[in-house]
Amino acid sequence: MWMVNLRVTSNARRVALVLAVVLILGFLLLPGQLQSVFQGVGGPLGWIISWPLSAVAGVHDRIAGVWGGYVALQGIEDENRQLKRELELLKEQNGQLRESAAATERLATLLEFKRQALPTLIAAQVIGRDTGNWYKTIIVDKGASDGILPDQGVITPAGVVGRVVKTTASTAVVLLVTDPNNAIAGLIQRTRDEGIVEGTTQGQARLKYIPLLSGARPGDRVVTSGLVEGFPRGLAIGTITRIDKEEEALFQSAELTPEVDPNRIEEVLVIQSSLVPAEKERLSMPRPKP
Amino acid sequence: MKALLYSVVIVGIVPVQSVLLPHLTLWGVKPDFGVVAVCLIGLINGELDGLLVGVAVGWALSLFSAQDVLTGAMLKGGLGLVAGLAGRQMVYLSPLVLVLGLLVVSCLVGLVTPVVLKLSPQQDLWWAIWNVALPQACLDAVIGGAIYWLMWSQFNIEQLMSESRM
Repeated sequence: MWMVNLRVTSNARRVALVLAVVLILGFLLLPGQLQSVFQGVGGPLGWIISWPLSAVAGVHDRIAGVWGGYVALQGIEDENRQLKRELELLKEQNGQLRESAAATERLATLLEFKRQALPTLIAAQVIGRDTGNWYKTIIVDKGASDGILPDQGVITPAGVVGRVVKTTASTAVVLLVTDPNNAIAGLIQRTRDEGIVEGTTQGQARLKYIPLLSGARPGDRVVTSGLVEGFPRGLAIGTITRIDKEEEALFQSAELTPEVDPNRIEEVLVIQSSLVPAEKERLSMPRPKP
Repeated sequence: MKALLYSVVIVGIVPVQSVLLPHLTLWGVKPDFGVVAVCLIGLINGELDGLLVGVAVGWALSLFSAQDVLTGAMLKGGLGLVAGLAGRQMVYLSPLVLVLGLLVVSCLVGLVTPVVLKLSPQQDLWWAIWNVALPQACLDAVIGGAIYWLMWSQFNIEQLMSESRM
């Protein structure tokens, strides 16, 4: 009996070591292929996990709703929510009006005016946060089966939230604009200077590569420039709070306070990127008039 | 029974980690139940279980994170394997030793992860140690120690460990 047991133990150890070696070799020699296998086979696993995830998120939202609505002063909570919604709408309207004014002024001088088509938006609910501590992401309850694809932009009426990085059949992972690994092409609304918006480790954002001669100042609004796929031009990203100009640097940078508080997002809109003109389309030669 | 328990761990860890644990943070960092579960399974049930459950847990967790799937599966699988091999060398494991072991292991995983993931230059090693690895290791150690202490006081862990090794 003891001999048999020893053999079983030895076999288990051998199997574990062989499996580990195979995985390590795969990781080192065929990382791309193994990655796509794991991602592809992960579809059904993700679909299975999305059920308890949605259930737990639903229970969590209900408890949070009961707590927020009844325990923590119902009237004030409702009023506050209403005012915040109105404020977000007004901010959005204000941003759109500013952008329209600037665009009208600029485009009036051009011979050809090409109106940007409004993209189709998919509404989704936030059901969770990143499972680890290395990335700032949210999980939404719409996925590949709803037409959501990686690299699509995600917004709220107040402004940009982030970008889709991963999808399962019924969920999608959105990398927030405040994550240091995210980069979105931005534009200072007043001066029309372009740059790249990156997240910071402090949970804020930073506009990099602003030209040295730019007259940007704190209080200026930064919007999407429309130069990368996923976001049309003119969506609010944040407001400049500080300008950093280093000596002998080729560019200046600015610290931004994002328009959207990533910790309080409940619903988002995903922009279907197929309807947003890509960089290639925008930069291509205009079609001759008939 | 064991398969059912593992399935519950693999499927249940994502909702716990993404919905419930954001409320249980230390300086904005939440514990990694994946590390705790994989270490305990590896220690108690051996390296094969540790490896397989580790790969599955890492895979499931990375499907709902920006982290790439392969790295997540490999890190957790490796952790389960190492925990299993370490458990084989131990005759008696007190909760205090487990807490210290988890603290060290979680810290090491926290140091390796940003290097493997090739994060933004802002998230350098120094930042990773102070802002993620250490707080997460403390939380993992406390939670893992508490779970192990509960199991230790309710079941005969030594017997479970020796049975799994046979």
